[in-house]
Amino acid sequence: QTTVSGVVTDQETGEALIGASVLAVGTSSGTITDFDGAYTLEVPEGVSQLQFSYTGYPNTTEDINGRSEINVSLTAGELLQEVVVVGYGAVRKEDLTGAVSTIEEGSFNRGAIVSPQNLISGKIAGVNISPSSGNPGEAPTVRIRGGTSINAGNDPLYVVDGVPLEGGGVAGDRNPLNFLNPDDIASYNVLKDASAAAIYGSRGANGVILITTKKGQSGTPRISYRAEGTVSNVINRQQNLSAEDFRNVVTFAAPQRLETLGDANTNWFDELTRTAYGTQQNLSISGGGETNTYRVSAGYQQLEGVIRGAETERLSVNLNFTQKLFSDKLTIGASIKGANTNNVFDPGVINAALDFDPTQPVYDPTNTAFAGFFEYGVSLAPRNPISATEQITNTGRTYRGLGNLDLEYAFDDLLPGLTYKAVLGFDVNSGRTNRFVPTTYATIPTDGFSGEFNVANGLRSSKLFDTYFTYARDIGNQSFSLQAGYSYQDFNLEAPSFQGQNLTTDAFGTASPGVAEDIFAFNEVLENRLISFFGRLNYNFDERYLITASLRRDGSTRFGPDNRWGLFPSAAFAWRILQEDFASSLDNTFSDLKLRVGYGVTGNQEIVDYGFLSVYRFSNQQAQYQFGDRYVSTVRPDAYDSGLKWEETSSWNVGLDFGFFNNRLSGTLEFYQKTTDDLLFTVNVPAGTNLSDRVLTNIGALENRGVELSLNGVVYDRERFGLNLSGNITYYGTEITRLDGSGSADVQVGGIAGGVGNTVQLLRVGETPYSFYLYEQKYGEDGRPLRDGVDWNDDGETNLLDLYEDVNGDGVVNDQDLRINEAPAPDVLLGFTADARYGNFNLAFTLRGNLGNYVYNNTASNAGNLSRITLGPTYVTNVNASAVYTRFNSPQYFSDHYLENGSFLRLDNVSLSYDFGRLAGDALNLQVYAAAQNLFILTEYSGTDPESGGIDNSPFPRARTFTLGARVGL
Amino acid sequence: CTDLEVFPQDRADPNAVFTEEENYEAFLARIYAGLALTGQQGPSGQPDLSSLDEGFSSYLRQYWQLQELPTESAVIQWGDAGLPELIFQTWTPNNQFIRAMYYRVFFQVSLANEFLRETTTDRLQQRGIREDFWPTVEQYRAEARFLRALSYWHGIDMFGDIIFYTEESSLGGDVPAEGTRGEIFEFLVRELDAIEDQLPDMGAAEYGRVDKGALYMLQAKLFQNAEVYTGQERHADAVAALENIVGSDAYSLEENYADLFKADNHTSDELIFAIPFDGETMQTYGGLTYLTHAPIGGAMDPADYGIDGGWSGLRATRALVNLFPDVTGETDERAIFFTEGQTLEINNISEFSQGYTVPKYTNVTSEGIPGSDPRFADTDFPLFRLGDAYLMYAESAVRSGSGNLDRAVELVNELRERAYNSDAGNITADDLTLEFLLDERGRELYWEAHRRTDRIRFDAFTVNGVWPWKGGVPEGRTTEAYLNVFPIPASEILSNPNLSQNTGY
Repeated sequence: QTTVSGVVTDQETGEALIGASVLAVGTSSGTITDFDGAYTLEVPEGVSQLQFSYTGYPNTTEDINGRSEINVSLTAGELLQEVVVVGYGAVRKEDLTGAVSTIEEGSFNRGAIVSPQNLISGKIAGVNISPSSGNPGEAPTVRIRGGTSINAGNDPLYVVDGVPLEGGGVAGDRNPLNFLNPDDIASYNVLKDASAAAIYGSRGANGVILITTKKGQSGTPRISYRAEGTVSNVINRQQNLSAEDFRNVVTFAAPQRLETLGDANTNWFDELTRTAYGTQQNLSISGGGETNTYRVSAGYQQLEGVIRGAETERLSVNLNFTQKLFSDKLTIGASIKGANTNNVFDPGVINAALDFDPTQPVYDPTNTAFAGFFEYGVSLAPRNPISATEQITNTGRTYRGLGNLDLEYAFDDLLPGLTYKAVLGFDVNSGRTNRFVPTTYATIPTDGFSGEFNVANGLRSSKLFDTYFTYARDIGNQSFSLQAGYSYQDFNLEAPSFQGQNLTTDAFGTASPGVAEDIFAFNEVLENRLISFFGRLNYNFDERYLITASLRRDGSTRFGPDNRWGLFPSAAFAWRILQEDFASSLDNTFSDLKLRVGYGVTGNQEIVDYGFLSVYRFSNQQAQYQFGDRYVSTVRPDAYDSGLKWEETSSWNVGLDFGFFNNRLSGTLEFYQKTTDDLLFTVNVPAGTNLSDRVLTNIGALENRGVELSLNGVVYDRERFGLNLSGNITYYGTEITRLDGSGSADVQVGGIAGGVGNTVQLLRVGETPYSFYLYEQKYGEDGRPLRDGVDWNDDGETNLLDLYEDVNGDGVVNDQDLRINEAPAPDVLLGFTADARYGNFNLAFTLRGNLGNYVYNNTASNAGNLSRITLGPTYVTNVNASAVYTRFNSPQYFSDHYLENGSFLRLDNVSLSYDFGRLAGDALNLQVYAAAQNLFILTEYSGTDPESGGIDNSPFPRARTFTLGARVGL
Repeated sequence: CTDLEVFPQDRADPNAVFTEEENYEAFLARIYAGLALTGQQGPSGQPDLSSLDEGFSSYLRQYWQLQELPTESAVIQWGDAGLPELIFQTWTPNNQFIRAMYYRVFFQVSLANEFLRETTTDRLQQRGIREDFWPTVEQYRAEARFLRALSYWHGIDMFGDIIFYTEESSLGGDVPAEGTRGEIFEFLVRELDAIEDQLPDMGAAEYGRVDKGALYMLQAKLFQNAEVYTGQERHADAVAALENIVGSDAYSLEENYADLFKADNHTSDELIFAIPFDGETMQTYGGLTYLTHAPIGGAMDPADYGIDGGWSGLRATRALVNLFPDVTGETDERAIFFTEGQTLEINNISEFSQGYTVPKYTNVTSEGIPGSDPRFADTDFPLFRLGDAYLMYAESAVRSGSGNLDRAVELVNELRERAYNSDAGNITADDLTLEFLLDERGRELYWEAHRRTDRIRFDAFTVNGVWPWKGGVPEGRTTEAYLNVFPIPASEILSNPNLSQNTGY
């Protein structure tokens, strides 16, 4: 027995690696490096090699050769050795055959990030993560390769530490994923193509995002503490008129209403917004012994919205524990994540702030009925938005817990290479909203007393049991692994709620339903289950040819007995060209060159439960019918389609991975085509064939195509200075290719604010989904749109023919003259990240852009007309400033003047950090940082924000946020 | 485990529903409620139809709009897609309101068919329903058939040739075939004959349900308009059906005309069949909530009408106002107009102050007490009432020469005496012309959803007759005859290959 000692360091930085494991090869004796990266190991007789391993670094084996001191520097980030999580297992990155993108902690966006999805926005080609509003903690819209559906979901499947999550949220949350503290996340793996996602079968059509949380590393406890504070303000000003401008416009357009104007100068939007603050603190402790690791963490985050009254708060805990038993044959992993989020919802009065007469004051002390706020007290008049933010309370509370236990057993004695894994998991998401509107808020002014409350509960729970065997073997220059498994997941939702109206007192808030004169109670109970069998083969021939094939059979309760089971196969082939003899001459230039081709079928089952089943629904107490002196509750059969089945997406993917100059420049180029068949679509059915006018049914087909290029360059890499640049660009498009059964029926969609039933978008075969469908505006010589109310064409009549092109030339302008226009989905996605280090400074930023995304400016189309001033009989309404330019008298909802190019380039994130290194006699490590989010946006769009999902109706303005923080490591 | 049987818990399985007797009544009530309400949750929620805003999708609201807005009766201020086109008679097959009416008609037919399929004696036997209950179900079936016939009548009246299917077709089965207006007319005549004996006597049904009185009214409506539907006039048959009603003592005229349209109008003996509403138990944004709210605005105080706030929408054109000898109602009390702050002329339909408003329907009782909820009206809709029967009798008597003309004059004068509170407005047999009758129907029955059908029968809807905003111009102009039927909705033409679009569209 000899003793060997040494130090394990990182080759690049020279820093000691703490907690690296050192193993005498062929034995179970090993040790862990200490704070200085040092180790001492008693090496048994006959051992000739030591193996060094550290998470994120490839294992390194050193021959002892009689040495008593062996110092090792490990190389991180060697692309050829990375392990990538692919769902039910992991593969070496070089063995990947599908389109999988990985983003690890070091590359995450920084700043005041509440929603986990925002950590990777702008980082991955083909993945569009756009904030849906400026609400703190709001769920962003995530689309991988554009989405494959119209009426079923387009959200990707999220799998957290092996547990697939249900898509829906519960009452009280803004984003169901917010139970994950971004600080606990180690990596994201995004399965973009079907050959990768098909292992998730019926839930893979929109891609899969695998989230892995941080695990502990063996060694003495390591403590990390991070604290930060943020301040946010509004960057986008709303475009309603100031008090002075409004007076002028009323004088010009509606002088008869001048007498109704007030004397105040109120900027309602300024009154509604504020400078907002937030804090965040995270503490984690990790470590482990020879056979186990642990990491525990707790986090607290609180963030205000820039609209008064909006806020989010999260308290999270996370525990990960692994234990190896029986000579490392059995590995037990346990993970529990829990969070309490508290949301305060603003009352949604941005439009009221736009509408409210700016010459009226906020307060009117004489108006005691409405708590001293100025109000018109007229039924359809806008309500004082400040009265709403001050008086209406709307809070949400959620508790979510996700727990899983993984058991992995290696049958080394029985059959080397055979392992068994079982995952038991549960997910409980419980939430509640309490909304209270006191009687002093102007709801129903003529009703003597009013006031209302809503209490909504939601309990979602799911259980998971996954079990699978994996058998891996090398035979000569071939290797393969085979996998077969079974999965069971059951989802439940129960959502009771009640609301009360007409309160006799405000004293109890939402706590005492009895004070409401009218009480309404609701409940929804849903259940669905998914049962699956899956298998996968990975085959590697001579490190040159790689084949992956998978097959999943899913059974879902969402479909009828005849369509319940679906089969989702995939196959992929990869060729590592550099391994070929003929390619040896390329070795000097290329460090990686791999061609991948994959095909797979995935499904989508994100539709309502029981859509295939004939069910009867009883009416509530407010929907009865009078028989004599009695009111009879009624029962109605619901419409259904017993033939409902999966949406099936079959897709091709061709990818090329390349690396030059020892991977100083690397990248991936991908082409894909996806065809979604049996598209689930809510369409008008022939009258008489069902019990409603529209039914969700499988009726069409959709096609997506795209090209993605990601590049990653290490521009400069010296000890003092380093610069990494990475960028991605995606060009893609979606087209509806078939809508059968309904001929070539167009489906009008895209309801707007202003007039019930007004829609501005269309689903039509041959077009991009949700293409805008509008009149072609005529313009005058001054470049302005021709205004209404003038007989421009001198035909003696003032009608739409004066304003819009008569496209079909039939002498009238009507809905036959609406024309397909651009679509809201961008044509091009851009992401660019720079990461520079100089000495101990690090500067990083992320730019994100969209090109060709069109936006219908509903804020302007609805409020940008002069007749709006006199909308109300006894009060005036403010107008959108565009009315001064267009001089429209009445609303021109269908004018393509309101369709604008929303292309933009946004500086999403900038961060600057300084690392003090080891301080206080090496006792601790300190890093301070500053970050800014949403610093600027370059766009020609005239409204609040071009990222408004196509129809911009005064969204919650996005904040500009500054963060200052520090991280201490012990 | 491969068990994929999951059953809903918050809604019911059909077999379970039909094993309980009270659910037969609940289903029948649902067919009736299809005329009044829009979904299973009042005032909105779990809607019946989904291609239109739920409040807009109300059967009565659309029936009313399609019958009144294209005539001189009313204009509406709102700019919702397709709404001004109803006023201008410039609708297209994409009109969302016409679409809603179309699907409402067939929602009723489908519901009734489903009920008839599920209540055959075979089915009752299978489900173990005791035989004592079978006669009750038999009457329910007759009522369901009546309601189906009522909607089919609306269907052929508005859309001409439409799809035709009965309980013999099955859900999810073949796409229904087209029936001509005439074929369906004949079916309806046979159908009403067949169920006559199974319905209660006139005035004997519970309030809100139909009896022989409603049946005779529907027969008379069909016969009176038969020439429009089939080319063959049947006025003598209309008179025969109406004889039952005008000769019956089951009904009598309400003393005060205005009380017919108030929150307690369910007590009126003039009603033959009304669609009930209730502010607490039958809440909707369609129906009478719409009719009591939409005309209120301007200088009107909503509290005077028992509502929480006006919707500033509906007004009358000059042509309706001018039917009356004076606007105040002092001469003819049927003139219910609000004029303060309103102009008679309408130069701009989107300006609420132009055009007199018509607070004919109010959510206040005859005693002046507000209804149970200011947001939703208690007032019921008089679908069939005795006053209408009198004028129908007079008209068919005049047209056929078969009825008793003296009686016709008498009946008309009964209405006019109520309106004038004296015999000052009485007419003689010479006055009883078709021209007079069209105007008199306008005075007696305006805003009661008869006008479009009436004008078509009098050939005064499109090529004849001019009133403000007809044709889309302020002074009005004549339009083309094809507009006498509405287009089949574009969505239906595309999804049902058996249907052809009406000529002209």
